[in-house]
Amino acid sequence: MRELPSASDLLAIAREVLLAELLPHLPGDRVLAARMVANAMGIAAREAAQDPGWIAEAHARMAALTGDAAEPLRAFAAAIRAGAFDPGTPRHAEAAALLGDITRARVAVSAPRALGKG
Amino acid sequence: MDEARRARLTRWLRDATGDPSLAVTAMARLSGGAIQQNWSLDVARDGGAEAWVLRTDNAATLAVSHGRAEEFALLRAASAAGVTVPEPLVLCTDARVIGAPFFVMRRVGGIAAGHRVVKSDTLGGGRDACVRALGRELARIHAIRPPRADLAFLGDPPEDACSAFIARQRAALDRQRLPRPALEWGLRALERETLDPIAPVLCHNDFRTGNIMLDEAGVAAVLDWEFAGWGDPHADLGWLCARCWRFGNVAQEAGGVGPRAALYGGYAEVAGHPPDHARVLWWELAAHLRWATIALDQAERHLSGAEPSLELALTGHLVPELEWQVLALVEARAHA
Repeated sequence: MRELPSASDLLAIAREVLLAELLPHLPGDRVLAARMVANAMGIAAREAAQDPGWIAEAHARMAALTGDAAEPLRAFAAAIRAGAFDPGTPRHAEAAALLGDITRARVAVSAPRALGKG
Repeated sequence: MDEARRARLTRWLRDATGDPSLAVTAMARLSGGAIQQNWSLDVARDGGAEAWVLRTDNAATLAVSHGRAEEFALLRAASAAGVTVPEPLVLCTDARVIGAPFFVMRRVGGIAAGHRVVKSDTLGGGRDACVRALGRELARIHAIRPPRADLAFLGDPPEDACSAFIARQRAALDRQRLPRPALEWGLRALERETLDPIAPVLCHNDFRTGNIMLDEAGVAAVLDWEFAGWGDPHADLGWLCARCWRFGNVAQEAGGVGPRAALYGGYAEVAGHPPDHARVLWWELAAHLRWATIALDQAERHLSGAEPSLELALTGHLVPELEWQVLALVEARAHA
């Protein structure tokens, strides 16, 4: 029902205008600020374009690991601190894989270059 | 800084230096950090011209950083130990002069900006010579040992810097809005392999590319002493070598500037022994965790509304990549 173009599309095209048409005309002491604006727009565009389904899926996997469905993130973090998923424990590999998946999903928005993309 | 403050500053400097002819001929805000304000001062006194820097606080400051009086004492101690620092000149603890305490030090020329430093093959006398010199600087800092009456504000040295680090990081995570399982994963890995306690030394605690002024001849000044404290000397080496402080030039393991072996070699020239590489690696993982919690705290200053800032807001988005590195480092340690 929302009008097109989408938020991510608008942010992406606006960012192009900023970098290609506006940035070259800015005084040197404003270039860093403009680059930060472009960086923020890129992050927001990627977040808007990302399917948020991974969050509910990650919470379910955390709840399955800790048995706490009420506060899955908090319980998962606390269990790691307590050593519940140390190497040699039965669910170590499962916890490590989950951490990799949720971190990759967040890096894909915040710093895709770290994944060799963007 | 308004005219009234500039006039009060000039009067104060005349009193502090005992030179009634002193005049501030130019004053300009320098690109400062997120915490401090730096001003360049051109001063005429005794018929000559001098170049100074005035350092004072922004409105909101990190709770973990020292104030200007403490930073001034650290600069004096470092200077006396032979560390290359800007010469500390005068300290003003009276906030009524310019609105906050400040100190003045001699201005040093050179380049510090990380992205420029790691691209240069000649700065600091060339990559190898530069990191060798950085190793010597660090060893001189680490020769400052407790107890020191002039550095009493640093508190008692930790009995075990490693477990103190883990406890401090966990406390930092506990005050965040959201739990951070990837950072917990890294802290737990460090906790499983805690190192033997080691005699505490003065650690700079922010000794990295970007905080060290270089010129073509070598190290011009070690800057930004506000996080210094007693600890494990390897923490400074790990902070400098951590991948997150190589500014993209990851192949040069010492701060993106030069080879790790040259850094260790320079360190050994002054300390009499090379650093313990395994300890440095422990502190490199620790460095990613510490930078992540600092970034979270900086982002919180924006999120809380205390200090709305695009720069602080973007700092929060550095955390996922740091967490990604933490997972990779933990994995690498498991297979080491």
